[in-house]
Amino acid sequence: MTGSMPAELAILAQLLLNGLALGAAYALVALGFVLILNATGAINFAQGDMVMLGGYAAVALARILPVPGLVLLPLVMLAMAGFGLLFSALAWRPFRQRPPIFGLLATVALGLTLQEAMNAVEGAAPQAGPTLFGPGEIRFGPLGLSGAALGILIACLMLGLTQAWLLGRTQFGRRLRAAAQDPVTARALGLPVDRLIAASFMLATALAGAVGLLLSGPYFVTPTAGNDLILRAYIAVTIGGWGSLKGAVAGALLIALFESVVAGYASSTIATAALYGAVLLLLLVRPAGLFPAPLGRRA
Amino acid sequence: MIRPAPLIGLAICGWLLAVLLLGSGYEQRLMALAAAAALMAIGYQLVFGQAGALSLAQGACFAIGAYGAGILSRLGWPLWAELPAAVLAPAALAALAHVPVRRLDGHFFALATLGFAVLVRLVAVDAQGLTGGANGLIGVPTFGRGPGAMLVGWGVVGLAAALALWLKRGDPDLARASGLDPSRIRARGFVLAAGFAGAGGALQAHVLGLVSPDVADFQVMVGCLAMVVIGGRGSVVGAVLGALLIGHLPEWLRPLGASYRIAYGLGLFACLLVAPAGMIGTLETVWPSRRALGATAPAPPAPVGRGLRLEGLEKSYGGIAVLRGVALEIRPGEIVGLIGPNGSGKTTLVNLISGLDRPDRGTIRLGDRPLDRLPPERIALAGVARSFQSPAPPDRMSPLDLVTAALAARSGCAGFGAAAALQPLHRQARGLLRRSPSSDIARALALDPAILLLDEPAAGLDADARARLGLLLRALADEGRGLLVVEHDMGFLMGLADRVAVLLDGRIVRVGTAAEVRADPVVRAAYLGTAAC
Repeated sequence: MTGSMPAELAILAQLLLNGLALGAAYALVALGFVLILNATGAINFAQGDMVMLGGYAAVALARILPVPGLVLLPLVMLAMAGFGLLFSALAWRPFRQRPPIFGLLATVALGLTLQEAMNAVEGAAPQAGPTLFGPGEIRFGPLGLSGAALGILIACLMLGLTQAWLLGRTQFGRRLRAAAQDPVTARALGLPVDRLIAASFMLATALAGAVGLLLSGPYFVTPTAGNDLILRAYIAVTIGGWGSLKGAVAGALLIALFESVVAGYASSTIATAALYGAVLLLLLVRPAGLFPAPLGRRA
Repeated sequence: MIRPAPLIGLAICGWLLAVLLLGSGYEQRLMALAAAAALMAIGYQLVFGQAGALSLAQGACFAIGAYGAGILSRLGWPLWAELPAAVLAPAALAALAHVPVRRLDGHFFALATLGFAVLVRLVAVDAQGLTGGANGLIGVPTFGRGPGAMLVGWGVVGLAAALALWLKRGDPDLARASGLDPSRIRARGFVLAAGFAGAGGALQAHVLGLVSPDVADFQVMVGCLAMVVIGGRGSVVGAVLGALLIGHLPEWLRPLGASYRIAYGLGLFACLLVAPAGMIGTLETVWPSRRALGATAPAPPAPVGRGLRLEGLEKSYGGIAVLRGVALEIRPGEIVGLIGPNGSGKTTLVNLISGLDRPDRGTIRLGDRPLDRLPPERIALAGVARSFQSPAPPDRMSPLDLVTAALAARSGCAGFGAAAALQPLHRQARGLLRRSPSSDIARALALDPAILLLDEPAAGLDADARARLGLLLRALADEGRGLLVVEHDMGFLMGLADRVAVLLDGRIVRVGTAAEVRADPVVRAAYLGTAAC
């Protein structure tokens, strides 16, 4: 308690700070979701399960290599990128000529398979993964942020910026966006559209893997951990404007802040219920989300 | 005319009878539980199978029915009051949940229903006073031992199946083609489905004698999805079959222990991969092929022998002449290629023939019949069908819907509810879709045209698909149809077209075999040279 900041305000600020770290993690999940959405027009219901898989990959790696999470992060992302390639071959390639509902159902089926497989291998009990820097708390005046939360915040910021640079500033990113925007023209211009779509999957799963590692430390990982995340990502992308990258990040942050504050004053159950109620209300008032994507970019 | 669905229905009845007469109490109880799942799956066909909307709330509605029956019966409500309440409660909540998304796209609907399911689960687990929380509700009255529960359960399934078949008689595919509001169809399906699921949940509560919070797990929803996809989307019998298979899966895979659920996921995926139409749908596509050969092959393509003759066609847009007197004949059994540089008027010509635009001057005749003053739909029914360069099908109409609608239009039953025999149309439509490289060409073929106009059919196809397209076009011509193929790519027309017409600045400057046209110096200079082929 300090004189400069009333206690009430300090609590609110602390809740918002906690929400920010979680929001950054949600944002990466939502970014992966939008990447695949834009590349294929399909909803990837397994995006949350990718996070779960990344979490278990981190747990497994940490058992073999007792090094800080920061060292494991690139390894997990690499492994998950490889998995993303496999996933695109299973969930997208065979279904690309069919109506989008089939691709969506395929991701539901594969996500379920992943959950059950991890349940069989690791059991339903929560497992703790590595933390980026180890325990400890950093204090900013009256506010405290755990090392894990700070790690999540910094890592997500770096990954988010890297991705923005990759998509916005590199030739690879331009090609990726071109293939997503107009696959027919992109193909006619000689772009390897199929490979670019596979690359989108790899990028999306690598991001999910990173989130998995980041969350596995402070929040543990269970086989069904992805279910809550996919709902959050779905909501973030919907309120952010279907298909908009910036909107997805904004939506994810908004959700996390909202949940963190409501959960702080009431309970996490009420927070989830209120979140969903708020989303329905929002859809009633602003059907295209908070930051609507231009017409024609919606799936 | 025995079709697979009724046959499977009979087989299911046989299976049920055998279990009822010979099975153990445990097997009968398993069957009664499968009946509860079947009710949920039958209902799901009305929203997912029919209205084509991905609802993720069906499991939650099942849970509401189960909790409703559990809570009310423990309060002492008699069965006759408690069961309708267990059906109405999820239906009413579903109606409420649909309001905010009623005008929105499919993915908003999926999200809204997913959120609905999350809320139901939260209430089930956290509202201890109402639902018993993690302990659930015990002491729900049961329908007696195995045979009683099984009889009641499958009796209700029989009624529900009949009701669902009756509800399905006015098919939304045609309704959509006739301009009815798809969002109302979705809302109706969603609310009805919720009622069916509620009945299923209530049945399960009374068979088990308890309600556990597991009933609100997302697994129930995934199970329902699996039943419908594996059984056959849109088919009532398929839903029942799926429910029976999924219901018995843990029993059959008992050696695998708890990990039998991996088989769920993999089975669902494999089914999507190899048999996306599900067991019933796949059976129906395989089944009639043998009979259809006998039944439909002798029926000749009716319009054989009518050629299309264009004379003096002129068209200008705002003073710019696009066509300046085009004359062309497409004879039955002939493939005519139409080439020309960009802006030479190829698509305009196709638009004039198909009636999307009117010629300023000139005539278009099919056989003896003048077409140039008919509206597009009459021209299509008269026997001139076209495909589009970039088809823009109406929202939410699947390729199957479109082709079925075209088939229905041709057989003259395009009114809503007038189509009693939709299954054969669906079957025929699936056949056409298999045969055609694109759904738009299948739609055009559904009209059984004498003349088929194809606007750049090979655009965007790889070499393999092009070869298949070529074979299809040749086969169509051999059936006596005349084909006009607009193409940029000379290579595709070489060896395919009997004659190639070159359109240049609104006039046909040359007609001849592909080789002749290719060798023509005027054509080379104007077109082939720039197209570098």
